[in-house]
Amino acid sequence: MSSYKCPVCIKVSNTPLDLARHMIGRGDKEHRDWIASKGFKYSELLTMQLSSFGGEGYRAISEVLERETKVK
Amino acid sequence: MLKELKLTINGQPYELSIHPRTLLVEVLREQLGLTGTKRGCNEGACGACTVVMNGKSVKSCSVLALSANGAEITTVEGLAKGAELHPLQKAFLDYGAYQCGFCTAGMLMSCKGLLNMFPNPTSDQIRDGIDGNICRCTGYNSIIRAVEAVSRGDYKETK
Amino acid sequence: MSEKYSVIGKNVHRVDGTEKVTGTAKYTFDIVLPNMLYGKILRSPYTSAKIVSIDTSKAEKMEGVYAVVTAKDTIHKKQGIWRRFPELCDEEILCSTKVRYIGDPVAAVAAIDEYTAEEALNLIEVEYEPLPAVYSQLEAIKEDAPQVHDGVELNINVTRHIEWGDVDEAFKECDVIREDHFVCSSQAHMCMETHCAAASYSYDGKLTVWASTQASYYTQVLLAGMLGMREGDIRVIKPPVGGGFGGKFELDSAQFCAALLSKKICRPVRIVLTREEEFTATKRRTPIVYTSRIGAKKDGTILAKEIRGITDGGAYTGMGATALYLTGFFSSFPYKYPNYRYDGYRAYTNTEPTSAMRGFGAPQAVFVGEQQIDLIAKDLGIDPIEIRRINGMVPNYEVPGQAFIQSCGLHQCLDKIDNYIKGRGKLPANRGIGVAAYGFMSGGIFNWFDTPYAFSSAIVKLSIDGKVDLFTGACDIGQGSDTTLSMITAEELGVKLSDIRIHAADTAICPADLGAWGSRETLMNGNACKMAAADAKRQIIEFAAAKMGVNIVHDLDIRDGWIYLADRPERKVSYYDIVREAIRGRDGETIIGRGHYTPHRKGMISPAYSFGVQAVEVDVDPETGKMKLINVVTAHESGTVINPIGITGQLEGAIMMAGGYALCEDQPMDQGKILNPSLADYKVIRSLDMPKTEIIEVDTYEPEGPFGAKEAGEGLTNPTAGAIANAVRNAVGVTITSLPITPEKIFMAMQEKKAKEKKAK
Repeated sequence: MSSYKCPVCIKVSNTPLDLARHMIGRGDKEHRDWIASKGFKYSELLTMQLSSFGGEGYRAISEVLERETKVK
Repeated sequence: MLKELKLTINGQPYELSIHPRTLLVEVLREQLGLTGTKRGCNEGACGACTVVMNGKSVKSCSVLALSANGAEITTVEGLAKGAELHPLQKAFLDYGAYQCGFCTAGMLMSCKGLLNMFPNPTSDQIRDGIDGNICRCTGYNSIIRAVEAVSRGDYKETK
Repeated sequence: MSEKYSVIGKNVHRVDGTEKVTGTAKYTFDIVLPNMLYGKILRSPYTSAKIVSIDTSKAEKMEGVYAVVTAKDTIHKKQGIWRRFPELCDEEILCSTKVRYIGDPVAAVAAIDEYTAEEALNLIEVEYEPLPAVYSQLEAIKEDAPQVHDGVELNINVTRHIEWGDVDEAFKECDVIREDHFVCSSQAHMCMETHCAAASYSYDGKLTVWASTQASYYTQVLLAGMLGMREGDIRVIKPPVGGGFGGKFELDSAQFCAALLSKKICRPVRIVLTREEEFTATKRRTPIVYTSRIGAKKDGTILAKEIRGITDGGAYTGMGATALYLTGFFSSFPYKYPNYRYDGYRAYTNTEPTSAMRGFGAPQAVFVGEQQIDLIAKDLGIDPIEIRRINGMVPNYEVPGQAFIQSCGLHQCLDKIDNYIKGRGKLPANRGIGVAAYGFMSGGIFNWFDTPYAFSSAIVKLSIDGKVDLFTGACDIGQGSDTTLSMITAEELGVKLSDIRIHAADTAICPADLGAWGSRETLMNGNACKMAAADAKRQIIEFAAAKMGVNIVHDLDIRDGWIYLADRPERKVSYYDIVREAIRGRDGETIIGRGHYTPHRKGMISPAYSFGVQAVEVDVDPETGKMKLINVVTAHESGTVINPIGITGQLEGAIMMAGGYALCEDQPMDQGKILNPSLADYKVIRSLDMPKTEIIEVDTYEPEGPFGAKEAGEGLTNPTAGAIANAVRNAVGVTITSLPITPEKIFMAMQEKKAKEKKAK
């Protein structure tokens, strides 16, 4: 089973979606900066999460995480 | 500048010199040290300052002290007769009709004024009688049970 | 000795009863000290502004003015009750460079009387440079929103996350999924006694503060930090308090400014906040916007819940961070969600700070959760009581990774309420009964305050005549902890309630206690008192056993003033005689019992939880949307009932407060300015609007609590708003998802419903 390691802290998740949740959820400067460095606007992702269902905000990030943070 | 004021409070006559803008509640609390009477809002909306004046309950934050010249006033300190509590006080204890106690003096005096007017009030009359008094703790129903017990004659008043 | 207890469970007068009904109780509000001055606080008229300059020279020269303080007189620290997290200590109290809401303090004056102090405030010249401001949490997290605190990007103050199970997988297995939005409003604590404090700093460098507080220990420690003093040099005394409800356990402007002024001139200073200040410049209930998603199988088994919330934090953190956490945890109550996820965010805004208030995030969570349970039950065609039975928590249930629930009487409560509703039969038109179930904690385990002391402690000291002095840091703010703790001590020691004299919440003579919040005193301090009494009892029994010459196989106990052989109660000696002799026999050494309690290995939240179910019957006028509360029936369990009159009072009072939250209590704002800061405009439930109340006690026993007792008061605020919303739906078929449930909202929803029905035809 593959796992996904947070690029800025020690968190390890089983799925990229869960790691995306962690990163948006943690929401501190390090995590936000990483999100911003990938071309996303943190506030937009958060607003999306707070006003709709289905986790669109998470999904966008999870695609990047899937590519970049997979560890064996 | 100062004006003369004569009042009888809890049976004791007083002659005071006061500033005309002084409120009755200020005379009671600040000049006479009768701090049982509280102030909650200073606009007659909460009832914590209620006292009985000439038999009727009034909000003492809304009474200019001078306008009470010559009046007979009872405060919570004047309810008990010596060491013997007033029936309302006994009933408040038995029914737990107080918690933080900050509204209690005013509540007791509203109830006293109510019983002066209606010795056997209906439940609605009691609710109406204390509608001007906010209690943030009890939810009023225990107060109503206490007043009902007094009006039923569960507590004998010592003469 | 037939009954189980001699003191516990009996109808007693509160230990502070006679002083309260005779008006002899001295509140902080009543305190007048020799040579005392009166203080007033100058507050910001702007929601956000830079302080360019403050000129106090005119005020200082005014006759009758003795001291003026501003941020310059402080040691330039920021304080907060989450001491473990320095970034959350964000409140200067006296602002130095920036004000963040209307009411933020900038200066304080001590004068010969309140009128003079008030006039002196007008002479203080503050030059402000207004800054852009933000007033709602959803606006605050936008990229271009002004920053309330410099450096806090997107104004995100705290985030909290709770998760167990696999929520995403679980939703895939659900037959029905609902997604709803809810908006919970604010509420004022509206204590009858406004915040107030009298401070007296002496020439020998010691400070005494009388404060209307829920936690004298917190006041002591936080003041020490803000004044640069040692904790031991500060004594905080809590006289009777005119209500707290969560609004009085942080360091407030009255306490800090009175202390600072007094320290400057070595004279006592008293500050009493006006009712308007109380409404606009203290703290308030946390408004929260929720999105909640819940999924169930056809048979009514709920598989997953995912809830997100963002709270309007106002200008500072305070206890708001805890509210953010607890609303997430209690959104899972009282059900066995196998998969659960909560994401919570707290955003700063330029409004009055939001913080703890009775229920502490849970009334909001229950308003959301209990409506959604009813709605999904409707979708599934299952009875509302039944779906709660299927999913309700049970004894010895573990909330995965979070909490362990020992006693739980939820199902008995459901049965009682089910019977009640069935007994009511068919209701007239436009009448409805709504149900809400809830659970609540008995004190928090979290230690963000970073206290090195036990959470609760007590000392019992016996006099030569057997009378007992009980010293505890517990704070009676009206809820009755002085009485409850005296009862627990009397029961354990085997003496009469009148033998106990309690000395509480004076930091100089009482051991530390975290204070009256989170429904902690009965269980936590009760355990400490019980342990202290048991410690004293052991010392007496040692002496009695020797004196009576009993065979060591016998066990001695004390009850009703008699020391007796447990299995031969007729062999007894007087407790009072033995105490007298025991003290002599110990070379005159006083008998002192010590007790303390800190929860260990009890999960992350609380050592115990109480449960209940409430049914509210409402009558809606279809012409106006106006609703009347008819009857409120509550089945609840709180373990062993220590003080039955106290519980009744807590319950009925909770209905007044929570009913007000549901119906009328609100603090509407225009551009950050509260529009109704007076009791004429802030509507509370008064005696004429108060519904009938019925209480059904369900018997449970909590192994972790003193004599089996647990929480009984704060949790009762939780169910009412949700039950009322459900009752409105059952009465007229409309769902109101935002608080308060005003006649306008009901009326508009009914109009909308009619229009839809017409269209459908």
